[in-house]
Amino acid sequence: MIKGRYFPPGSSRAVDASLRRTEQGLVLARDEEDAAPQSDPVLVSDPLGGVPRKLTFADGGVFEAPHDADIDLLLRRRGGFFARLARLEKSLAFAGAAAVAVIGLLFLIYRFGIPLLAAGAAAVTPPVIVAAMDRGTLETVDRTVLSPTALDEEAQARLHRIFAELVALAEPEGPQLRLLLREGGVIGANALALPGGTIIVTDDLVDLAESDDEIAGVMAHEIGHVRERHSLKQVYRVLGIGFMVGVIGGDAGQLVDDVVAQAAAFQTLIYARGFEADADRFSVGLMVAAGRDPTAFVDLLDRIAADSGDAGETGWLSTHPGTLDRRAAVLEAARGLGWEG
Amino acid sequence: MDQNIAVAESDVRHLRFSFSGRAVEYFGIWIVNLLLSIITLGIYTAWAKVRRLRYFYGNTWLDGHNFEYHARPVSILIGRVIVVALLVAYNLLVTISPFFGLLVIVYLLAFPWLLNKSMAFNARMTSYRNVRLNFGGTYFGALGVFVLMPLATLLSLGLLAPVASRLANNYIGRHLGYGTARFDTRAPLGALYANLGATIMFVMLVAVVCSGLGFLIGTGTASLGELAEGSEEALYEFISRGPIIGAIIGGYIALTLAYLFYAAGVRNVAYNHTTLDGTHRLSSEVGRFRYVWILVSNLFATLLTLGLLRPWAAVRTWRYLAASTGFVVVGSLDHFVDGAAPEGNVGAAEFFDIEGIDFGL
Repeated sequence: MIKGRYFPPGSSRAVDASLRRTEQGLVLARDEEDAAPQSDPVLVSDPLGGVPRKLTFADGGVFEAPHDADIDLLLRRRGGFFARLARLEKSLAFAGAAAVAVIGLLFLIYRFGIPLLAAGAAAVTPPVIVAAMDRGTLETVDRTVLSPTALDEEAQARLHRIFAELVALAEPEGPQLRLLLREGGVIGANALALPGGTIIVTDDLVDLAESDDEIAGVMAHEIGHVRERHSLKQVYRVLGIGFMVGVIGGDAGQLVDDVVAQAAAFQTLIYARGFEADADRFSVGLMVAAGRDPTAFVDLLDRIAADSGDAGETGWLSTHPGTLDRRAAVLEAARGLGWEG
Repeated sequence: MDQNIAVAESDVRHLRFSFSGRAVEYFGIWIVNLLLSIITLGIYTAWAKVRRLRYFYGNTWLDGHNFEYHARPVSILIGRVIVVALLVAYNLLVTISPFFGLLVIVYLLAFPWLLNKSMAFNARMTSYRNVRLNFGGTYFGALGVFVLMPLATLLSLGLLAPVASRLANNYIGRHLGYGTARFDTRAPLGALYANLGATIMFVMLVAVVCSGLGFLIGTGTASLGELAEGSEEALYEFISRGPIIGAIIGGYIALTLAYLFYAAGVRNVAYNHTTLDGTHRLSSEVGRFRYVWILVSNLFATLLTLGLLRPWAAVRTWRYLAASTGFVVVGSLDHFVDGAAPEGNVGAAEFFDIEGIDFGL
């Protein structure tokens, strides 16, 4: 027999009551009333910590039992998944093991799972969607920041020649590569790669370059972004991080939410930096194959940095590695490919 | 009969909410929720949410009875799948063409409907003494209070914030019901403006402390790093930049804390002017400084333990809010009866949950 409280259907008036099992079925005995047979409940709340159990009957009446009452014995049934889970949750050793497993799993997912899934998703994204993304982005930047190039015909032809030379050497698989020249406006000396193969080089960058090798190195770097699908991978990684934060942060408090969001934004910077280093390595390979100076573009980067008053270090909040670190990495990669400059 | 009424009227009881959850007990539930959510790639989060809310509601007591959360995990899951699919589709469309950014207008127009349906669902899933809460708002009421009023507040640089708070809380209070009984909230503007005044004082206090600290830390790290480099020009550059960044971060922190301070004050005013059935009265005496302190110390405790103290922090916050809330009852609470009410929409509720939008404490 289980002692508890009974609420008549739809009423907040509770009376002391007891529920017991007889040969004929359940019997509910209410305060001041005779015991009456009762059909089995239609809904039984799962055990959960010290929360009282509620048994809801077909007519809407509710019997409230203490949290530790043996409801399963009363109803002659076997406890389900959540009954077992509730027992496990009470064990400190199990909770400790679960904590270790959670931390380990989160690390593995963050370090390997998300980059792997992002690479897979980037590889299977239909070219139609990628091309549409290119059109959309190009439309936006053309309307907001960029304007038509002011370079003379001869300079344009030379740049397109250099680009064609590099494209011929790069592996043909992946989106069709094309070069667009634009006046950069507020973004100044810069180069962009869109996922569908569109590479934009600004006039300021061309003006700042002192040799063809410098500008070719930057183009090769951008080709690297396209061929290694960095933009798409970045999109999917950010999605993955967002999903992971959503899964683990179900009940993060107000301030914790804010900090986690900042940390996730910071994480995308770290990812971006890794992609820049990859594109640098790609550039070195392509430039060596083209018989050009693979380190020249770092000089150009130095000049851009000097223009914007950067100290050349990898700053906390920068997406690109500092040029000092970059120069060393590029030199090492070039030497590794047998380049002697 | 007359005698009965006299007894009932003198029978005023000052009841307090209390919370019987324990951090250690919740830790077990929380970590299992987390583990299963990760293993099932997020599917279990629906079950995890129900178990979490059942734990917090179920351990919240008033007058010897606890609250209950009734949502079915499967419906929560369906709501989440729909919301995530819509969000992904929207982001994809915007990447393809910025033209789809115009869908924001559709969102703004749908917002009042979403809000009412979400509130109705959450109210409907909550019960006390076998009687459920309910919520039935109006489209244009919600449009004015939750779309137009926030815009007006922005345009007024926050000076209309108390008016917005008053309208929002009155709207929620007036459309909330317990069974067939109705709540009613009439938050007075004077008290809300007093709260804004206190918040501005608080911001100035925190801004001075935070930007001062940020200035010192910014100067300190900048100088140390640059002295090692030995470049004078860079040294000058960083001294002029580090402290400014420090001060900006300090200001950002001040505004975040100010929001918490303000919200706690609004809760007090709104609860203290909310009645049920015209006779029973809610009360709230959340200490604004205390509340900010609890959340800030929770944040540090959570971050420093890689999240492992999160259950403790959650239990601590909930317990404080429950203990700061009271109910002044005339007579007994056993005459309420459940009634038919709008069921709400789980998709709308999950949208607000996933987007992290919530209303009040």
